[in-house]
Amino acid sequence: MRRLPVYLLLDTSGSMTGEPIEAVKNGVQVMISSLRQNPQAIETAFISIISFDSTAKQLVPLTDLASFQMVDIKASGTTNLGEALHLVATSIDNEVAKTTADQKGDWKPLVFIMTDGIPTDDWQKGLEEFKKRKTAYTVACAAGSNADTNVLKQITDNVVSLDTADSQSIAKFFTWVTASIGVTSTRVEDAGKEVTGLSELPPPPAELNIVV
Amino acid sequence: MMADAKKIVQVLFEANNIPIPPNRAAIFEQFIKKPGSEAVIRALLANQTELMEKWKLENRIMDIAQQPVRILNATVGKPYETWFDFDQLKWKDIAAFEFTGLEDIGLTFDPKTSQLSGVPAQSGDYKLLFRYRLQEEPEDAPYHEKVIPIIINPDPKSLWKKLDSNQQDPYWKEDDVTAFEPLGDRSILVSSKRGRSHANVGSFREDDFAFKALPGGWNIVVVADGAGSAKISRKGSALACNTVVEYFLDQPAVEGMAVFDELLKQYKTDNSEIQKKINQHVYNNLGKAALHVHKKLIAFAAEVSVPVKDLNTTLIFTLFKKYETGYALLSFGVGDCPIALLNKDVSEVTLMNWIDVGEFGGGTRFITMPEIFHDQKFATRFGFKVVEDFSYLIMMSDGIYDAKFVVEANLPNIKKWKEFLADLGGKNEDGISVALSTANPDIVSQFSAWMDFWSPGNHDDRTLAIVF
Repeated sequence: MRRLPVYLLLDTSGSMTGEPIEAVKNGVQVMISSLRQNPQAIETAFISIISFDSTAKQLVPLTDLASFQMVDIKASGTTNLGEALHLVATSIDNEVAKTTADQKGDWKPLVFIMTDGIPTDDWQKGLEEFKKRKTAYTVACAAGSNADTNVLKQITDNVVSLDTADSQSIAKFFTWVTASIGVTSTRVEDAGKEVTGLSELPPPPAELNIVV
Repeated sequence: MMADAKKIVQVLFEANNIPIPPNRAAIFEQFIKKPGSEAVIRALLANQTELMEKWKLENRIMDIAQQPVRILNATVGKPYETWFDFDQLKWKDIAAFEFTGLEDIGLTFDPKTSQLSGVPAQSGDYKLLFRYRLQEEPEDAPYHEKVIPIIINPDPKSLWKKLDSNQQDPYWKEDDVTAFEPLGDRSILVSSKRGRSHANVGSFREDDFAFKALPGGWNIVVVADGAGSAKISRKGSALACNTVVEYFLDQPAVEGMAVFDELLKQYKTDNSEIQKKINQHVYNNLGKAALHVHKKLIAFAAEVSVPVKDLNTTLIFTLFKKYETGYALLSFGVGDCPIALLNKDVSEVTLMNWIDVGEFGGGTRFITMPEIFHDQKFATRFGFKVVEDFSYLIMMSDGIYDAKFVVEANLPNIKKWKEFLADLGGKNEDGISVALSTANPDIVSQFSAWMDFWSPGNHDDRTLAIVF
């Protein structure tokens, strides 16, 4: 079966302490519960969680929705986004099956990045590595006014921003991510086609500004 | 004990700003040895110990409460079992325990084996309550409580809705059709079913098929798969199937096909001259039929003012005729639907066509595309085969092919076809079998039930035609 890999890159730096990190944790939980109710998603979508602070870690390897269990995340340290981009690149190499004569490969992965700050490492190096991998689409979310949308724009064309990194806004972002994964899994299963960009995804809620 | 006692009292006094100067040290020694003092110190020490034990206990309870305990997710209707390894959890100091809230979710706990098992009946994120008492506590101490989360997934099958398609739609077709009929000197068993992904949203079946005994002893079987992305491909596939049949019912086509009788009399595999003639004739007759379908779809699109791509459909068809010496089979194909011919003892498979597949899904070709006819590869879309006999002629849409053969590389493999026939014979998860025999009175209901097989990720329309 062709899996739909979904990578969530979550900023767990010190500035996320308190309400934001709790909202992210909750957002992922609600997202998983809700996707489990979607017949296409529960079969095709596989989720991985990568956190980045002073280092990047793959907290949950690519896991099917039925077996997925959220891990505890805590906020501390700096914002090594570049390392996270590098890690998602190698995770794609290791986890996403390629199409060969004997097997149908996985669908191209979806990557969602959420950050509330400016990268503190050599992010361009990580980006260089990430760009070598094919994704169906990558969406980056700048949570609050301290995030740099210019940096994110260099990672992907699909950048959205939240005015504040409060629990309500973060929850809205995850609701939209949920809908986007749902739409993509339905589309790959029914039409056998990948979704390629923001325009094909459900319209984002009012809290989410599309950065052009 | 008294050495400790001396130190403890010293520390206590110092903490309360009562220093013991060196010149009073001897008196202090005597003071703590006095019978009255000694009893108080003993009580003091005992209380201290008790307090520390109590704190330790409190800490332990907090540790257990905060200790993450993960248990496997369960799924509704699926037998579930997991073990609590008290050693691994470092819970050896638990003297007594119980689980509550298990009955509500259909699980039971066996204390002898520490096994949690059962068949969950309801999905959701639940919290199991683990109630326990530690060894250090008296037997009548109330239990402490620890919440252990458990996720119960819904049964994926239950998530698919089955909504009727709109019968008022001008291009409506039946959601499911299964038929069994004689065809020439053989029989055809065919089924076309709306996929779960379409049933889930109440949309239409986009696959279609047709078959007919034609004048002159020829028989035709057609399968078409309307594109998921095309708005009225359900009409495209229906029109394609019916148009092919109509084409071969027409007098000029009947005459064209009659020429084969003479050609096949002369047919010998080592005679390249006559082979060439036959190939030319297959190309002419079947090619014209394909082009006729193409034109008909373009004309229909114009008539109802839609772009022709809205009718996108794949198309395969096979003509076969019984001669004294054996069977002649002719075929044409555009798209990703295979046509396979299995020899008499099912030891060999002949693929009548190659299939249009891209690296990623959606790379297929449709009969609506004009470039098909201009392409160099057009001549290779035809198949011709003369055989003494055959066991099965099998045609299918990708809804069957994707689920049962997965990749193109499996199609030439006779082992896969044997597995496929065994699957039809009941070697499947649900144990549903179809006896492929004209004497089987339940063949239609059996085949219809088999067509509903469960295959994760494969919920497209399914069409399967078997001539035997």
